[in-house]
Amino acid sequence: MIRILKDPRIFVITIVWMMVLVFAGTIAQKDMGLFAAQNKFFSSWIVWLWYFPFPGGRLTMVIITVNLLFFFFNKSIWKLKKLGIVILHIGGILLLVGGGLTAIYSTEGNMIIDEGAYSDFVEDYHNMELAVVNTTHQKFDSYTVFDQPMLKNGKELHHLHLPFKMKVLNFYKNCEPIRRDTDPGVHYKGMMKNFTLSNQPVAKEDNRNRPGILLEISGTGTTTDGIYGLFLGQSIPQSITVHNDLFELAFRRQRTYLPFSIELIDFKKVLHPGTNMAKSYSSEVNLIENGIGKKKLIQMNEPLRHGGYTFYQASFMEGQHRETTVLAAVKNYGRMFPYISSIIMCIGLLFHLCIKMPDLFKRKKS
Amino acid sequence: MKFNTILLLFLSLSELGFGGMQFGDIPVHENGRIKPLDTFSRNQLLSMYEKRSLKSDALPGNNNIQKMEAVDWLLQLITHPDNNDAFHVFNIRNPQVVGSLGLEWRKSHVYNRMEVLSGIQHQISYIADIQGKSEEQLTEFDKQMLRVYGNIIRFQELSYSFTCLLPLVSIENEEIAAKLKVEKGKKISYFQIVRNIDAINEPLKALLNKEEPQWTAEEREVKRIVTLLNDIGQDNFAVSIKIIPPENADDEAVWLSPWEIMDSRELGEKQEKLLITLEEYIQAYLQNDESQMVTTLANYENILQSDFGQLLSVKNLKTETWMNHTKLFYKSMAFYLLSFILLSLSWVFKPELLRKISFASLLTGVGFHAYAIYLRMIVMQRPPVSTLYESVIFVSLIGVVSAAFLEYSRKDGIGVFAGSVCGIILHFVGFGYANDGDTLGMLVAVLNSNFWLATHVTTITIGYGTSLFAGLLGHIYLIQAIRSPEDKTHLKTINSNMFGATLFALFFTLFGTILGGIWADQSWGRFWGWDPKENGALLIVMWQIMMLHMRITGVVKPLGFALGLILNNIVVILAWFGVNLLSVGLHSYGFAGGIAMNIAIFIAVEVVSGLGTYFWANNLRLKLKA
Repeated sequence: MIRILKDPRIFVITIVWMMVLVFAGTIAQKDMGLFAAQNKFFSSWIVWLWYFPFPGGRLTMVIITVNLLFFFFNKSIWKLKKLGIVILHIGGILLLVGGGLTAIYSTEGNMIIDEGAYSDFVEDYHNMELAVVNTTHQKFDSYTVFDQPMLKNGKELHHLHLPFKMKVLNFYKNCEPIRRDTDPGVHYKGMMKNFTLSNQPVAKEDNRNRPGILLEISGTGTTTDGIYGLFLGQSIPQSITVHNDLFELAFRRQRTYLPFSIELIDFKKVLHPGTNMAKSYSSEVNLIENGIGKKKLIQMNEPLRHGGYTFYQASFMEGQHRETTVLAAVKNYGRMFPYISSIIMCIGLLFHLCIKMPDLFKRKKS
Repeated sequence: MKFNTILLLFLSLSELGFGGMQFGDIPVHENGRIKPLDTFSRNQLLSMYEKRSLKSDALPGNNNIQKMEAVDWLLQLITHPDNNDAFHVFNIRNPQVVGSLGLEWRKSHVYNRMEVLSGIQHQISYIADIQGKSEEQLTEFDKQMLRVYGNIIRFQELSYSFTCLLPLVSIENEEIAAKLKVEKGKKISYFQIVRNIDAINEPLKALLNKEEPQWTAEEREVKRIVTLLNDIGQDNFAVSIKIIPPENADDEAVWLSPWEIMDSRELGEKQEKLLITLEEYIQAYLQNDESQMVTTLANYENILQSDFGQLLSVKNLKTETWMNHTKLFYKSMAFYLLSFILLSLSWVFKPELLRKISFASLLTGVGFHAYAIYLRMIVMQRPPVSTLYESVIFVSLIGVVSAAFLEYSRKDGIGVFAGSVCGIILHFVGFGYANDGDTLGMLVAVLNSNFWLATHVTTITIGYGTSLFAGLLGHIYLIQAIRSPEDKTHLKTINSNMFGATLFALFFTLFGTILGGIWADQSWGRFWGWDPKENGALLIVMWQIMMLHMRITGVVKPLGFALGLILNNIVVILAWFGVNLLSVGLHSYGFAGGIAMNIAIFIAVEVVSGLGTYFWANNLRLKLKA
């Protein structure tokens, strides 16, 4: 068994297959966009090409890792002459393990802050959530949040804290609110009285889509029962009153709240003089934790690391009156692995080169 | 070897030996960078005339000059704007454009301002129409029309940039002349009058309160001067030569052109001093006063150094001008060619002597090549590689240097062969890129990090270079296996060289790729994002790892290994240039257009020559066995 698992020919075959995947996954980006191509070819266990299943990137990497682990069962490698090779392969294992940890455990999202405002949550790039906020009390709001996996067509949503039921009538990956010409009847409530959500072709990059949802609320026993429509970036909040409790419905990018908040003091964009070409972007921020603020500067190639998160200057928006910064926030448990493994691999390869050099480039005696 | 040390020493001495400032060394600000007028004028000329200096077809026929430097042309243009039709610098090759501008079809394809302008006037509404369109909506004809139109505007702007410094206004009245402190009858410039305007303020005011018949002779003169000034002031659209640095050494402050200075209310003391000196130089040039020209330029240099020293380095400006003129890359190309020719000759007669000379020639080429890259680093204050063009010249250097080491250890001409072929081909590619414009451009924000440019980018380009070198060895191995399949020991040495080169290449591509991941982790927040350029680098690494494991496990024999290295060249080229064609991802700051065909040709050549020589050599091997 071990003899089969450690066979380097397995490695040759899997790496050839991995190269096919990488090549195909790169070309495919032109048509399907980076995120979809990544999901199909690299982050998958199985990739369907035409009607046939093939090992996906993740499965291929696991096979390589296993094969590499069994490499150390070779007795012939435990010699001084092969020390460089052994070190090199240890580095390789660490790199793959780190990649695995990152693939499984890392989270990333955006933190969008206007100048002068602050934020204490990270928004997911892709997933949405439905938040029902009970705003009855003056001193606090109580939240009930449904994540995107629950928001499937036909799915019923209910919760102990909510005195009503909701049913997902339609989930739109990309939609556009369009004004109605005719009266839809009493069943449509809120903004849907005058608008309808129209399905739009899904764009390759998720940040160009405007997801939306059509909900049916029932069980209130009042005229509040009816069909409500929500979409990303809705400027008018949709709210309902049930038994003197006031609820607000919000459809938004999935949020992860942080134990600290970041205030944007100033966003700066510096151009190369006399051109429209940016020389640098930077955000001067106030990192507030337990009521204590610390001033920090986030700029290109110089992120802010705090509480397991790393914040990068990713993008910006320019409004008429103020600027808005877009920070990418990443939490990654595997981030030290590439650093360590690359050092180990380089030591191994250099060591091996030094041993082999005299043989490979022998001086010709003439 | 000694010869080269001496050469390098000589080159570095010549750098120290720069003389006083030339007109071409004067700093000007263009596209985000301070550069000498020499470079500026070359860029301007390149975009209209498609060459960096004027040949006889562009020059006025009456005086027997065969060639003119771009900067001399610029000086002529700005000092004699009314004579600017003498230069035929509009290169128009599109027959449709030539036809629709009503121009005669010429073999030389060059036209002067007057010809183009009279043609353009009939097309002005069409041009206004296509100007609003987006890039994709334009036909090739539209693009060429817009190019011609842009160039004519550019040319007009250049011509009239300095009219405020030219002596165009004669002072005919004794009193006014005395007030302006000039001799009667002398011509002075717009700028001279503007900065002494207080002296004639009194008659100017008086003039406004009187009817024309009551004007004194003095007032009449002032009226004439003011009218003239108004005429000259029409040229204030010509602001493309940003030659005056900001008063204070603030990185974000803007450089101004002479006409912008005329219009601005706040002329700094240092700026004024500089502009006056420039004016003196122009006037000395117009009077053909050589010694005065030298003196004023020396003054100009002094002011730059003492007042604007924080902002710019005069030495770097001179270095850049010197670099423009010496054309070090052409020199190194010439030596690579020479070494290739000498090596070919060495196969016919005097093998050892000619091989040695060809090696010396290769090393000389390397000397020029490396020195040129070093100077570019000095001028730009950044590591050797930051644009696609720079990667080409740097990869070429790495390839040649690797080959030189091989030659040093083998001493049989194979290194010289590999080095000269690598140098010649990649220099040729580099020259192609250089013709697209200024090769010393500024960088977008994410690249603006000398640390990562020096580590990741340099390492990965060394990886490209050593990979291509290994591929070249693959070719050489197959050729040797065809030429003399019976010489086993010779083949064996090349085989181990191939293996060693692959290990080297793997070291740099692997390390470079990981460093790239670390940079990405630092700036974009993820080590790996499956971006096309990242995947390209990964493909090279995986291909090389695959070849090494195939060799170790005996899946491939040396011939197959050689073929694998040749095919690796294709992977390298796809990763290097090909990903820019996809126009997706974060690395698309490279240049993309028009290279698809070249890449396709390269792939076809490598596949055909690789497979062809592989099967040929394999046949020979099998025959020999039998």
